[in-house]
Amino acid sequence: MSQNQTKLLQGTLDLLILKAVGDGELHGLGVSRRIEQITRGTFQVKPGSLFPALHRMEEAGWLTPFWGDSENNRRAKYYRRTKAGERQVVLETKQWATIAEAMASALKA
Amino acid sequence: MRLLSRMKAALRNLLHKQQVDADLDAEIHSYVDAITEERIAAGVGPVEARRKALAEVGGAEQVKQAVRDRRAGAGIETFWQDVRYALRVLRKSPGFTGVVIATLALGIGANTAIFSLVNAALLQSIPVEHPELLVVLRWSAHNWPHPSGMSSFGDCLMEGKTGFATGCSLPFSLFREVTHRPDLFTSATAFAGPANLDLAGNGQASIAKGELVSGSYFETLGVSPAVGRVLIDGDEKKGASPVAVLDYGYWQSAFGGNPAIVGRAIRLNDVAFTIVGVTDRTFTRLTPGKSVNLYVPLAQMKALGLGWGGSDYDGERWWLTALGRLKPKMKRTQAEAAVNLMFLNATMRGAKPAWKASDDPRVELEPAQNGLAGFRRLLSEPLQLLMAAMCIVLLVACANVAGLMLVRSRSREREMAVRLALGASRSRVMQQVLTESLLLSLAGASLGIVLAYAGAHTLAAFTSENLYQFLQLDVQPDATVLLFTIGMALLTGIAFGLGPAVKGARTRAAMEINRGTMGCVPTPTHVGRRRWPGLGNILVVVQVALSIVMLTGAGLMLRTLEKLRSVDAGFDTRNILLLWIDPTLAGYDNARVQNLYDTMQQKLAALPGVVSASYSSDAMLDGDLWTSGLKVEGQSSSEPVESQMLRVGPRYFETMRLPVMRGRSVNIADVRGGPPVAVVNQAFVQQFLKGRDPIGMHFRSDDKKWMIVGVVRNAKYDSLTDEDKPTAYVPLTEGGAAFELRTAMSPAALIPTMRKTMHDLDQNVPVMRVQTQSETIDRLLFVQRLMEWLLGGFAGLGLGLACIGLYGLLSYEVASRTREIGVRTALGAQRKNVLGLFLRRGLVALLLGSVAGLGSAALVTRLLASMLYGVKPLDPVTFVAVLLLLVGVGLAACFIPASRAMQVDPAVALRYE
Repeated sequence: MSQNQTKLLQGTLDLLILKAVGDGELHGLGVSRRIEQITRGTFQVKPGSLFPALHRMEEAGWLTPFWGDSENNRRAKYYRRTKAGERQVVLETKQWATIAEAMASALKA
Repeated sequence: MRLLSRMKAALRNLLHKQQVDADLDAEIHSYVDAITEERIAAGVGPVEARRKALAEVGGAEQVKQAVRDRRAGAGIETFWQDVRYALRVLRKSPGFTGVVIATLALGIGANTAIFSLVNAALLQSIPVEHPELLVVLRWSAHNWPHPSGMSSFGDCLMEGKTGFATGCSLPFSLFREVTHRPDLFTSATAFAGPANLDLAGNGQASIAKGELVSGSYFETLGVSPAVGRVLIDGDEKKGASPVAVLDYGYWQSAFGGNPAIVGRAIRLNDVAFTIVGVTDRTFTRLTPGKSVNLYVPLAQMKALGLGWGGSDYDGERWWLTALGRLKPKMKRTQAEAAVNLMFLNATMRGAKPAWKASDDPRVELEPAQNGLAGFRRLLSEPLQLLMAAMCIVLLVACANVAGLMLVRSRSREREMAVRLALGASRSRVMQQVLTESLLLSLAGASLGIVLAYAGAHTLAAFTSENLYQFLQLDVQPDATVLLFTIGMALLTGIAFGLGPAVKGARTRAAMEINRGTMGCVPTPTHVGRRRWPGLGNILVVVQVALSIVMLTGAGLMLRTLEKLRSVDAGFDTRNILLLWIDPTLAGYDNARVQNLYDTMQQKLAALPGVVSASYSSDAMLDGDLWTSGLKVEGQSSSEPVESQMLRVGPRYFETMRLPVMRGRSVNIADVRGGPPVAVVNQAFVQQFLKGRDPIGMHFRSDDKKWMIVGVVRNAKYDSLTDEDKPTAYVPLTEGGAAFELRTAMSPAALIPTMRKTMHDLDQNVPVMRVQTQSETIDRLLFVQRLMEWLLGGFAGLGLGLACIGLYGLLSYEVASRTREIGVRTALGAQRKNVLGLFLRRGLVALLLGSVAGLGSAALVTRLLASMLYGVKPLDPVTFVAVLLLLVGVGLAACFIPASRAMQVDPAVALRYE
């Protein structure tokens, strides 16, 4: 992952994670793979960033965890989006759209 | 919502730490397992798959730590870790920890205690509503007024010198005339006292301090009753029934705070009074240091048998202090101009003007906070000096803590370097050092608060024991000062603890760690470190210098007291017990007083351990003095001369061991109404009767004429430091008295039997005060003793701290140069050379400090000049003694670490570390 990607990721990781778990609960690796998939491989989230973010968002009340069995019948910790998490998605999406629009117009000028 | 959720999480993380960690562990494991399985599914061998998975994760422990660091409550957890670690580290070096905490505690505690006294005595405002509106009426002129008598009760300064006189005393009529101005004052009051009143009707008879106040007193001050009512205008009318209001504190102590007090009858000086109420708890005083037990209306003056105002309270004598409450928004200067006009009108016209026009009298409305100085005058100078001394002590304490922190952080530079090398971040290391400093400072501060409380109360007790009246001081450790000193201590600790730590964090870790193996080869850090011992040296020099200043001050006070105590009072001051009674308060007339005194003299003299007993109107060297203008026979000048006067009983000179040089002493016939005779002292003869035979000569005052029958040796009456003044002793025929018992044993041991004798004689005559003559002299020397006591204590403290500083500096020096010492010894240096090397270092710091200290002391001691006696501010004996003391004690402090250096075994030293 290049330096640029990391920087971008820092600002958007929360939103990406919230998006990733939007379609249903996922465990850590699942979140990582899902983000890779929805960003068409642009972002690969390493565990050193992923887990602190997951735990922080859990503590903020946006995600709620539970222990379940994985597809291979292993115990894994799953995360599900909460109501507060959904509100956060709306909020951050709006913010992100504003920034994206502003950046786009700035670069065109 | 989000905050709440995070707080809940933080609580969970802190309380169920193990569970949370286990969950995290399981989560990461399952993640690694999941990746491994993916790889295996892709056809990689299981061992290789696991290795690759771990590599991709980038270290399970690091991931866990990253999560932990971001977790809610992580700050609290690391702080708690730091605290536990700091406690362990501090416990490992109890000497350092103890000294720093003790230094801080003493600095903070002593400073706050002194300031609390200063605050109570000098700064606190009068505890009533809007004290800034209260004004005292003060007059001044080129001469004293010519009233028919004047008295002052120490509320407000009264003084006179050639061409100038000022005071606050007024007659009642004048007070009424100039303050009855509703356009200027909301209200005004006049008061005097307190009087010693004989209180009966509440257990055994006792003495209560009764302030005589006008009916408007409480209205003017804005003081409301806690129980019942306060005095009102109606109580002041002539013929009003006698009522009294109790002070809250006195109500608590003497009446047990009984709420059913209202309506209770008591007898004051044998007159029936009714208690109508108690003042509010917040009203503790008007004039600083003056305590009052109860308040009675001015109109009761005559009934109480007091003659302060003349024939009645509205008589011609000047005796009342007037206090007015200005109307809000009324300018003081404007009111002053108006009152001035009325005052001049009243005093300069009429049948008997109080001043001549050339005396230029004028009136000032002085803010009560300044005007009602009370004992503030006595204490303000010594207290200000003590404040200065306190600041020095605080400086020494801070310098000491700074020095110790410096030495300590230097010796830990390696530890810091190792931590950095192991991957700790710099901010993390600094946070750790900061926690340690904070812990130390907080421990010192808490102990300091305890000391401040104890110190403030000890000081208040010492002060009130030694003043002429019981001192009502509201001494509370002052919060502002406490916070200030604690803040200063914290800053010192942090600045000098953190400074080197920051520097340590900047040094390259490898270099610091290598230092041990590179030995005394100078490395860049080594060269850089030269600066720090320089700062340490400066701190020690400063401490030594400041200690010298304090020691010199204390030494001068010590010498002064020594000189004062060896002053020959003229009579034998040892083994005299004094007791004061006033039977007239219990309704005795003159004849009965004489009988009582005769009986007392016989009974007291017959007590075992008593050699002889006598009495006088005042005790010598007790702060009381009676002077009178006399016309002496044969003197040409028509102006009267001034002489000290004392009324005495039979056998007075024998009891005091004051030798009669010529003629006879006062005998029983003289006090029993014989022709008025007098005994004078040598100074009297010398100044007024030069060259003539004094025996048989006469002198007279306004209303009395005496014949001289004897001459006694000069004795100190008013103060120990005065030169001998003319004194006339005349027979005591009326009023209260101080009894003197000459004892053959410790006078204090006689008090119980004396009290029993007095109780058996008449229990309605209370003993007002009991003291030994030495105690009254000590009280006379109160200011000097207070200064000696405190300056001595502070100087000892400063000296101790400076020694600790020296010790710490040299200890560090020795420890950090152990290897060098080993090399030197191995190369043939003698042990005494090594000892000398370090002693010299200490001596240099000591001498530098001494020179600076003696120089500053020479500049500062003149501030003490007014309190010194028989010693010059630059007394060479004191200066040399202080220098020797300091160098001696200082060298002893150096000797311990230096001798440790001497015992270094070269074989061990070279293998050191």
